[in-house]
Amino acid sequence: MSTDPKPAARRADKILAEEFFLARSKILDLAATLDRLERGQGSVDELQQRLLLQQGMEILLDDQSDKARRVQLLMSRPYDPDWRKNYGLH
Amino acid sequence: MDYIDPHIHMVSRTTDDYETLARMGCIAMSEPAFWAGFDRGSVESFRDYFRQLTEFEPKRAAQFGIQHYTWLCINAKEAENVSLSREVIAMIPEFLSASNVLGIGEIGLNKNTKNESTIFLEHVDLAVRYGQQILIHTPHLEDKYQGTKMIVDMLVHDTRVDRSRVLVDHVEEHTIQEVLDQGFWAGMTLYPVTKCTPARAADMIERFGPERLMANSAGDWGPSKPTAIPDLIMELKRRGHSRQLIRKIVCENPCEFFSQSKNFKAPSALS
Ligand SMILES: [Zn+2]
Repeated sequence: MSTDPKPAARRADKILAEEFFLARSKILDLAATLDRLERGQGSVDELQQRLLLQQGMEILLDDQSDKARRVQLLMSRPYDPDWRKNYGLH
Repeated sequence: MDYIDPHIHMVSRTTDDYETLARMGCIAMSEPAFWAGFDRGSVESFRDYFRQLTEFEPKRAAQFGIQHYTWLCINAKEAENVSLSREVIAMIPEFLSASNVLGIGEIGLNKNTKNESTIFLEHVDLAVRYGQQILIHTPHLEDKYQGTKMIVDMLVHDTRVDRSRVLVDHVEEHTIQEVLDQGFWAGMTLYPVTKCTPARAADMIERFGPERLMANSAGDWGPSKPTAIPDLIMELKRRGHSRQLIRKIVCENPCEFFSQSKNFKAPSALS
């Protein structure tokens, strides 16, 4: 049994300085995608995928933590604990 | 830095890739049986594939000083064909004594169907009856959460399964906690688009610690990067993590997990 602790956390201001340009470019990509959707013919406003993107962006902006896991769960099919019974498996 | 890739599909890779991996520090790898990019038509196709995995690939790897191990099964995509799956499962024991076989894998779910679940359970039974370790494929994208929960449910339900001998691969932020909490090993698959980036893998190492956690490249037919583990090593170094921590993830953990199979010989660089 190893007793390795979790690695120590880095300073937040250092992370921000290192990752600012990468995050900036990802926001721009997302912004350009939304512009492209708007310029496209027809509307996607009511489509499920568009709604998922909207809800995902709302997770990014809310004041709660654990954002990556919450975005993942948003984009996931739900789990039914009774799945075995539904499939007739024992 | 020397490293082990615990999940890489070398049948889809060129000999040049073996050379590149060796130059980047890869000393051992394990190759689970998987989909060939198309559905195979008969059990004989699988017999030839298993010969490729147990005879040809180890020789190709050895030319570059890399140890090649493998896992056998019919993958979840093709498990939808139950009768073919049963023929393959019945044939697998012929290959279990080959010197590079570590166990049964990568078994799992793809679209989380009843047939896939049935064949998953039959593979688990095969592994238990033959005392084999298990390597698990969890589904991708919107199917991952549901499928991982179903897989964990099936494994926990079978009290014969030794969880410390099971590796659950392709974990992400929403599935890693449960896999580790239930006592399984977890693998993060580094993939350019649909799975996990080196940065997010480094985040999970920081959040969950290095115990029972490893990383792999998958290196399959899809857009994947066989040198993804060196990318993760660089990301961890860039963040200032210790050599000891990095080595645990990319070398010692795979080694400790694989050592539970009698066919695994720890690379001399590690002993
Ligand atoms: Zn795979």
